Amino acid sequence: MEPYIRSTDITLTFTPKNRDPVTALKDFRIELNSGEFVSIVGPSGCGKSTFLNVLLGLLKPDMGEMEIGGKKITGPGVERAMVFQEFGLLPWRTVMANVELGPELKGESVASRRPRAQELINLVGLTGFEGHFPHELSGGMKQRVGLARALATDPEVLLMDEPFAALDAQTRDLMQAELLQIWDKHKKTVLFVTHSIEEAAYLSDRVIVMTARPGKTKRIIKINLPRPRGYEMRLSPEFNDIKLDIWNTLKDELNPRE
Amino acid sequence: MRFGVLSERSVRFLLGAGAVTGFFLVWEFLLTFVFTFNPFFITKPSLMWDATGDLILSGELWKDLYISGTPFVFGFAAAVVVGIPLGVVMGWRRRVAFALDPFLTALYASPLVALAPLLIVMFGVGIKGKTILIFLLAVFPFIFNAFAGVRSVDTLLINVVRSLGGKERDLYFKVILPSTLPYIVAGARIAIGRGIVGIIVGEFYAASEGIGHALIWFGDMYQLGHMFVCILVLMIVAVIFTVGLRKAELAIAPWRTQETR
Ligand SMILES: Nc1ncnc2c1ncn2[C@@H]1O[C@H](COP(=O)(O)OP(=O)(O)OP(=O)(O)O)[C@@H](O)[C@H]1O
Ligand SMILES: [Mg+2]
Repeated sequence: MEPYIRSTDITLTFTPKNRDPVTALKDFRIELNSGEFVSIVGPSGCGKSTFLNVLLGLLKPDMGEMEIGGKKITGPGVERAMVFQEFGLLPWRTVMANVELGPELKGESVASRRPRAQELINLVGLTGFEGHFPHELSGGMKQRVGLARALATDPEVLLMDEPFAALDAQTRDLMQAELLQIWDKHKKTVLFVTHSIEEAAYLSDRVIVMTARPGKTKRIIKINLPRPRGYEMRLSPEFNDIKLDIWNTLKDELNPRE
Repeated sequence: MRFGVLSERSVRFLLGAGAVTGFFLVWEFLLTFVFTFNPFFITKPSLMWDATGDLILSGELWKDLYISGTPFVFGFAAAVVVGIPLGVVMGWRRRVAFALDPFLTALYASPLVALAPLLIVMFGVGIKGKTILIFLLAVFPFIFNAFAGVRSVDTLLINVVRSLGGKERDLYFKVILPSTLPYIVAGARIAIGRGIVGIIVGEFYAASEGIGHALIWFGDMYQLGHMFVCILVLMIVAVIFTVGLRKAELAIAPWRTQETR
C-alpha cells in the first residue's frame, strides 16, 4: 500500500538575522500510513516542532518535499490540524471562541459550529469554562483548549506537539485514553511528538527516534502490542521491554548540556 | 482591598476629591492671607468661581465649546480612520513602511504647529483649517502606535490562524487588529493631548470664537479668572476623553483589562 504521507529527504536551515545559521533538519524523511499513530521522540532542539511545521505547511524546507494523499504540500490545508506546543490561544477570545476558530474560518455558521464546539469542550473536561479567557486558565487547561480547537476542524491528520506536556499525571492518563478513542473511532492519522517514552510506547503503532540536531531518523521502533490497550498493559513485561529499547536508542543522543 | 467600612473605590474617590479641594483651598488661602495678590499676574479660585458663573450664565462657554468641539471631533475621527489602517498596513507590509517612513518621520519630528498660519491662509479661520490642523497633530500617534503594535504581534498566533485556513483578511481582523488594540488606545491618549493643542493653536490666529480664542482673548484682557477657567475646562475635557477611553477599552478588550488588574 502507498503511504498516505511521505517525504523525500527534508533539510531545513534557519538563518536568523545577526546569528549563526542553525540546521534543524538534515535528510529527515518519513512515511505514514493512513490511520496510523506514529510518535516522534528525540532530544530537545532536534527539530521535531520544525518538522511538524513543515508538514503543517507553515515552513518551507530548503530541500525535499512532502506529499499527502499523493498531493504535494504547499501550504496549510483543512485535512491537517496542529495542537501547538505553546498552545497559541488567541488571548482576546473565550474558550468557546478559540475552539470555534477553525470552523469559523471555514465560514461555518454559528448554529452549525456551536454544538460541535460544546461537545469538544465537554470532551476535554472544560464544561463551565466556555466563557473564560485564556489568561484565566491553567497551563493544562490551555493545552486542552488547544486540543479541542484542533479537533473542531475534524482533520484527517492530527499533528500533536507535546500536547499533554502541561497536564498533571492523572489528566494526562485520561486524555491519552480519550485520544486513543477518538483516533480509533474517527480513523485519524496521528503524528505525535513527546518527550515521554512511556507515552510514545503506549499510544503508538511506531515510534520514530530522532538523532540530536540536525535531526534525522535514528531508528523506527514498531510497537507490536495488541489494541485496545488498557491501563494494565503498561505494567506488562513486554511493555517494559519496549520502553527499555526506546530508551537505549535515545540515550546516546541526549546531551545534558543542552 | 478594603479600608475599614469603605470599599477601595470610595476611598479612591474621597482621597482624589479631597486632594483637589485641598489644593484649591491652599491656593485661595495663600493668595488671600500670605502673599499680596496681583490680579494682573495670577488669579485665585474665588475669582475663577465668579468667572465660571459668568461664562455659564452668558452661554459663552457652551458656544465656545461647541465651536471648538466640532473641528476637534472631525479632526480626531479623521485621524482614527486614516491613522489606524495606515499604521497597520505599514506594520504588516514592510515595503509600504519603507516607502512612507521618510515622510512620516519628517512630519512627526517637525513642529507641526508651525504649519498653522499656512493652513489658516489656505483654508481659512473656520472649521476647515482647524479640522485639518487637529487631524495632522492627532494622526501621527495613531500611525506610529498601530505600526509598533503590529510589529509586536505574536507570530505563533499568525501561524495558528493560517494553519486553520485563515486568509490575509482573517489575519488582519482576527489577530493583528485585536493584538494591536492596546497600542492604539495608548496612541489615542497622546492624540487627545495633541488635538487639544491643535484647538488652541488653530484659534490663536485670527479666530473670533472658540475656547482657544476665548483663552487667548481673556489673557490679553488680563481677565485671568476667566482665562484660568478656560484652561480648566480644557483640562476637564481632556480628562473626560481619557477616562472615556479607558472605559471603552474595558468594554471592547475585557481580556486585557482583566489581565492587568
Ligand atoms: N524560528 C526559528 N529561528 C531560528 N532558529 C529556530 C527557529 N525555530 C527553531 N529554531 C532552531 O531549530 C532547532 C530545532 O527547533 P525545534 O523547535 O524544532 O526543536 P524541538 O525538537 O521541537 O525541541 P523541543 O523538544 O525542545 O520542543 C533549535 O535549535 C532551534 O533553536
Ligand atoms: Mg518542540
